[in-house]
Amino acid sequence: MAGVAWHYVLKFIITGDAAVGKSSLLVRLTDQRFLANPDPTLGVEFGSKLITIPEENKVVKLQCWDTAGTESFRSITRSYYRGAAGCLLVYDVTSRQSFINVRSWLQDVREHADPHLTCILVGNKIDLCADDAGAAAAAGGGPRRKREVSTDEGELWAKEEGLLFVEASAKSGENVEEAFECATRNILEKVRRGVFDDDRSPGVKLSKPSSGVALNEDIRGSCC
Amino acid sequence: MEFLSQINIALRGPTGQPQSAADTIARLADRLSPSTLLADRRAAVLALKGLARDWKADVGQLTLHGLLDVLQNDAEVDADIGKAVLETLILLCEVDENAPAAARDLGYKHTDVVLADDKVAQKLFALMADHSFYLRYSALQFLSILLQNRRQAVQGYFLKAPVGVTSLIALLEDKREIIRNEAIFIIQSIISQSPEIQKIMAFEGAFEKLFNIIVGEQGLEGGVVVQDALTCIDGLLRFNQSNQSYFRGSSLPPVLLSLVGFPPNLPFNTPTPQQFALQLWDVPQKRANATLVVGVVGLLARHAGPPDGLSIACTRCLTEFGLASNAPTNIKTQALHLVPSNVSGLPLAEMVVTPYVPVPDTNGEEWDRLEPASALDALVELILHGEYNNIIDGERRTKDGMELRGAALGIFQNFVQKEEISEAIVQAMVAQPGSQAPATPLLYALTTVPVSPLNVPSVTSTHFATLLFAHLLRASPRAKATARSIVPQAGSPGGGGGAFFVPADGGPPPPGNDDDPADADGPQTLLQILSEHLSLAFLARARADLPDKEAREWDRLCVGYLCLLIQWLWEDPAAVREFLEAGALGVLVEPINQTVEEDAMIPGLCAFLLGVIYEFNREPGEVTRAVIHPILTRLGIDMLSGRLIHLRDDDRFRAVGPDSFVVASPGAHVPPHLPQGAPAAGLPKPEIEEGEIWFDWAFVDFWKSNYYTIQKGVAVDPNALSSAAGQESAMLIASLRDVIRNQAAEIEKLQTQLKAVSAASGETDALRAQVASLTEQLETSDQKKKDVEKEQDDLLVLLDELNSKRRKDKERMRQANMEVSEDEEEEDDEDEDEE
Ligand SMILES: Nc1nc2c(ncn2[C@@H]2O[C@H](COP(=O)(O)OP(=O)(O)OP(=O)(O)O)[C@@H](O)[C@H]2O)c(=O)[nH]1
Ligand SMILES: [Mg+2]
Repeated sequence: MAGVAWHYVLKFIITGDAAVGKSSLLVRLTDQRFLANPDPTLGVEFGSKLITIPEENKVVKLQCWDTAGTESFRSITRSYYRGAAGCLLVYDVTSRQSFINVRSWLQDVREHADPHLTCILVGNKIDLCADDAGAAAAAGGGPRRKREVSTDEGELWAKEEGLLFVEASAKSGENVEEAFECATRNILEKVRRGVFDDDRSPGVKLSKPSSGVALNEDIRGSCC
Repeated sequence: MEFLSQINIALRGPTGQPQSAADTIARLADRLSPSTLLADRRAAVLALKGLARDWKADVGQLTLHGLLDVLQNDAEVDADIGKAVLETLILLCEVDENAPAAARDLGYKHTDVVLADDKVAQKLFALMADHSFYLRYSALQFLSILLQNRRQAVQGYFLKAPVGVTSLIALLEDKREIIRNEAIFIIQSIISQSPEIQKIMAFEGAFEKLFNIIVGEQGLEGGVVVQDALTCIDGLLRFNQSNQSYFRGSSLPPVLLSLVGFPPNLPFNTPTPQQFALQLWDVPQKRANATLVVGVVGLLARHAGPPDGLSIACTRCLTEFGLASNAPTNIKTQALHLVPSNVSGLPLAEMVVTPYVPVPDTNGEEWDRLEPASALDALVELILHGEYNNIIDGERRTKDGMELRGAALGIFQNFVQKEEISEAIVQAMVAQPGSQAPATPLLYALTTVPVSPLNVPSVTSTHFATLLFAHLLRASPRAKATARSIVPQAGSPGGGGGAFFVPADGGPPPPGNDDDPADADGPQTLLQILSEHLSLAFLARARADLPDKEAREWDRLCVGYLCLLIQWLWEDPAAVREFLEAGALGVLVEPINQTVEEDAMIPGLCAFLLGVIYEFNREPGEVTRAVIHPILTRLGIDMLSGRLIHLRDDDRFRAVGPDSFVVASPGAHVPPHLPQGAPAAGLPKPEIEEGEIWFDWAFVDFWKSNYYTIQKGVAVDPNALSSAAGQESAMLIASLRDVIRNQAAEIEKLQTQLKAVSAASGETDALRAQVASLTEQLETSDQKKKDVEKEQDDLLVLLDELNSKRRKDKERMRQANMEVSEDEEEEDDEDEDEE
């Protein structure tokens, strides 16, 4: 068993409407794979990944909880906001409805999550409309669909709501790691600014590097 | 009643009429109303609490809703009333398992009212975080009662309560142990069978907090809290793939392994440290804790896909526990059972372990370290000779000890599943040309000559050796073929069979001297030795004066030999031939023919072996099927069939299952008519349960799949073809044959076509060549023709010139009046041509 080494453990949750590609984004991140026909998620599935943020010289372990978009699991999903440090709010750029519904997902986040949670809005499946985006004939011949949410519109709304923003494709892999990295940078910056110093955020944990055996310690120390 | 009248006085004053309980309770119920003063409500609740035990039905019926309102409205305002109302509710909902059904139903009924909607549950989740210790504690206790009664309803509400999980997990860090322990207890039951709650728990950091508790409480050496926390960890992981991947990827598995002293990063070729191998195990709580840790290690050892570092470390930890530690026997058994059935992650033959044995008479305080050995050798040693070489158990067969050997046997079975491995192990027992056969412990135990009076450890070794050997051969025709050429060393105990047989008290000598080929024909093969020992065993158990206990041991040996032979001879005509030539037929017939009703086991096995011999007697030899057939008919085909089937009804056979192997020894119970305690000096302490084995599941399974073939086979004419395959497989084989035939035909056809095509292409080539040469020829002949034509032309021209010259000459001649003939002229032309 190789000694696991990371500086931080960050908890992420991934939410958004059913079938927008949440599980696909996670599988792309952890396994570098894309499944054409994944099963809809029941409840919650866990996946994890080590990433490096070179400019901070930090190794970060991302613990990701991929939630079900189906309405019937929504109350279960709510249990996961509170403890998370980061949230990927996902919609499908070829589905206007999924973008509209992001508002209600964000409402859940606002209601249940730690106020310091970092949220990134992810417009997924851009491979389907590679032409509209101007990238010449990149979609690899898959069934092309019309883009229903423009990049500008997504970006504008994210800005209004104070969210990070990226467009990605779980299928091509484009911007998938970037989405997680972008959110991670933002969280690490908050850590540096001391946002979590006296606040309770179980989503961020500091770990002694290369400590195989020691337990992770809460970054807030042993004060409570 | 005393209490009731006190309340009456309190309610009405001393002069009032005596009231019925129901009236009193009804009046108290009125006082619960929010319109009364808080102090009055508090008094009423306290009064009801006093009445609830004896008047559970009335209090419940009249006041439950009022009490729940008080809980809802007052608990957080006034901790005293909160505590009192919770305690009253606990009394109303409690279900005493030993109470009569009606009383129990009452508890369930009240619970259902409490849980009719989510309000109470949500209130309780909120109270878990209350500042008041008593409120917290009572809320937890009430919750725990509700969980016991109606777990699923509570779980449903819990999932919908966003704060519930967080506050519950937070309680794991409560400084008051009593609260923390109650929380652990609740977690244990609230996660039960709810993967969603389990996952949320993991998300909220339950694993980390539980491990903090365990480590903080001295790990394995800790008390029942550690056991409860470990139980939670097991519950969070056992049926939850998502949590397992969370846990595997976390930093906790190394902590788990170090709880039992196993260094998580131990390099493969480094022995385990002594603090892992030798620990103090006196405290029962430590055993309970260790059992749970081993269970979780077993979960992590199993891993879908190729073994990773963690699963290998866990598998090694289990193996080391089982083979090279002083852990309690049942923990070793558990550990070995948990070694994944696909042991490819663990190179047993290359892995080195260092077993320990206790120094005699030191009460487990001193241990000798043995020489390092390969794990495979240590495993076989454990199977054959028991834990610590049997020095503790001695003549006893303890149930625990037998279970341990059974668990080890299971690993061996899995390990030799691969034919290359079983074949290599068998091959290693064959003498290389010019050298003696190696005396492996397995071979030694297998060929130990049974001598009366039997000693229990030796019988057990031989029996286990037959089981080990059967695992090697059962599924591998090649291993069977190799095994036929095993000739155990002459010096080994099986070498000169009969020579060592010294009947203890004038029993019959070994089978007739003519039957003893050892001296005459040199060393015997393993198969010959086994058949000889089988016949020795039959003779010995036939003795009239044999004590019951020893007869049983002889029976056990017979069972071991017979089961091995049945599986070996199955589908191996060459082995059948050799067995028959060793004169074994006669040995089998007699036990089958016994008229005793008492025992179906040995006759059944003999009938089965006889059937196998008949079925697979397919090689030419002296004892042909035609020779055996009259014996079968004389015994009676129906009788044989019956013997075969009745094995199935034998308790010792029926008791065996895929996971159960050891049966309680009847000898362990002292028959009441015997003077108790008389032989106490030499006897085991009564609290140690004894156990024994007869069959393993592999054989039972084998028997079940094949007895029908044999049952049919014995009824078949000696000239008939094998029925071994059975109807179904015969059809399968026939259809496969068809497939092969069709394929062969097709291949042939294709080959012909191919040939034709290639032939055709050859022809084309030839033709092409011919065309080329013809063209060439044509060209040359054309050229020639042209040349000829030209020459001819030239000649014609010449001729023409000549003619005209001649004409001119004739003319001149004529003019000169010389004689000229026309005919001559023509002849001349021809002549000229020829020249
Ligand atoms: N073309 C394309 N298809 C995608 C992409 N991401 C996901 N999909 C497809 O979209 C469908 C739904 O993907 P999932 O990952 O199961 O969606 P989900 O959000 O996890 O859905 P739920 O678990 O039901 O909430 C699948 O058929 C995916 O193959 C993408 O980037 N491009
Ligand atoms: Mg999904």
